[in-house]
Amino acid sequence: MADPFIIETTDLRKRYDRFEALRGLNLQVPAGSICGFLGRNGAGKTTTVKILLGMTRPTSGRASVFGLPADAADHSVDIRCRTGFVSEDKDLLETMTVSEIVRFTAGFYPRWRADLEQRYLEKFELPLDRKVKALSRGMRTKLALLLAFSRGAELLMLDEPTSGLDPVVAEDVLQALVSHVASEQMTVFFSSHQIAEVDQIADHVAIVDRGRVVVAGGLEDLRERYCRVQLVFHGDAPAITLRAPDVVRTHREGRVLSVLSRGGPQRILDETRALNPASAEVVPITLKEIFLETVKAEE
Amino acid sequence: MLWYKSWLDTRSRFLIGLVLLMLSAGATVVYYPEVMKLMPMASSIDADGALGRRIREGVELSRDYRGYIWAQWARQAMKNLGTVFAILLGTGGLVSQSSGAGALFMLSMPASRNRVLSVRAATGLAELLALAIVPALLIPVLSPGVGQRYALTDAFAHAVCLFSAAAMFFSLAMLLSTLFTDLWRPLLITCGVAVVLALYEGLVRQVAPYGVFRLMSGETYFRTGHLPWMGLLGSAAASAAMLYAASKSLARQDF
Repeated sequence: MADPFIIETTDLRKRYDRFEALRGLNLQVPAGSICGFLGRNGAGKTTTVKILLGMTRPTSGRASVFGLPADAADHSVDIRCRTGFVSEDKDLLETMTVSEIVRFTAGFYPRWRADLEQRYLEKFELPLDRKVKALSRGMRTKLALLLAFSRGAELLMLDEPTSGLDPVVAEDVLQALVSHVASEQMTVFFSSHQIAEVDQIADHVAIVDRGRVVVAGGLEDLRERYCRVQLVFHGDAPAITLRAPDVVRTHREGRVLSVLSRGGPQRILDETRALNPASAEVVPITLKEIFLETVKAEE
Repeated sequence: MLWYKSWLDTRSRFLIGLVLLMLSAGATVVYYPEVMKLMPMASSIDADGALGRRIREGVELSRDYRGYIWAQWARQAMKNLGTVFAILLGTGGLVSQSSGAGALFMLSMPASRNRVLSVRAATGLAELLALAIVPALLIPVLSPGVGQRYALTDAFAHAVCLFSAAAMFFSLAMLLSTLFTDLWRPLLITCGVAVVLALYEGLVRQVAPYGVFRLMSGETYFRTGHLPWMGLLGSAAASAAMLYAASKSLARQDF
């Protein structure tokens, strides 16, 4: 039976001198999903991606891609052979022309898709004779995507793919990504600090904060599970600590007690009934709210 | 493909080195008649110490064409330029490219770091071999133009000595390039090591017979007609050890 998770990390830690970039990161990316790896700048997203691709060694813990250990040099080559990668800085070989870097990259991949190469060269209108260093940021991103898409990869790993792009180009890139994934069977793991783009294209999400995954799951499932219960009291809201295990954060302001739950509203409604609120309302929340509230709760 | 990348990375340094070494070899041959006219004046120079000894030795050696080529080319221009370009060819690579110059792109390719380094080293060593052989071969080719003959075997022997000794500086520069993230420190440290070794060999005469620059100039071959096998093997072993250390160092780097 095929491994249900393309990417799996267990208690992954990475320390750079005194700074602990990853503090026991547990992550599971299901096969065939588009997983958004959401977190603030410096949360550990790029470090995780680099460990998964064998560019950085973990201090401890396990990381595997396609069931292969990412920190073993020989397996890492196999992982990279099956993975298309776009780095945050769209790191490419500056002195080559577009045509040269396409030929150069194709030489490494036995399953290189010449049809996709041609399709994206036309779609992105990339100038074949221009040096990579002379390309605009948008063009570089499109070239990096072309090189990642055409590898015949089973997994796309994109580190902040729209970073530094204007909204129009960013939208082009996301659309290209979505349509590519729709036509090719693959898993996408992309890191971002842009909640809107994760919301737009991901079906799974993992929120990372200070080196740990604090929320993970299917996006629809999260939207169903997470909710805000707003209780309005006749007088000032009581200063209570709720016992319900799914409470993420409680906020009290005047007559209103607002409770964020990750396990539905029922337990909170049951527990607060004795407080006799004037009204109780269950409000669905967005991914942005889940992200912000979870990160604040961690603080 | 890795070969192509390595060639792109080093070609300008290699081609500049090749042109300079060929110009230097060609000039040594072409100016032979002019230098010969000046020799009587040089022999009357009254200088003391190491400089005087060097001048007198040069004049003495230049009494025959083979000695002239060794004194002017193998012992000076070839040795100095060979060292500089060996160091230049050895610097660079994945670690120094880690600040946005393609390192992450290269590391995302399905090629092990060992393979990337091996190809880089092989390309550099092949270029170094070409820098040693091609200009050296120019001497027997051009010599008939000034009415002289220079043996092909002499040219090859000096090329082998240059390559073997310069490979140590190349390997040291490669090793240091896996430790520092900039181009300059490996370059300057290796140059510094070369200068210190040259001074040490020059000042401490007991060390000179075993010195890397004596090996590089092919002095043993020039004086005895035999290749310095121990020196060649020793330098090959030292280069191999430094390249092995470079591969270990690169393997443990975080990017």
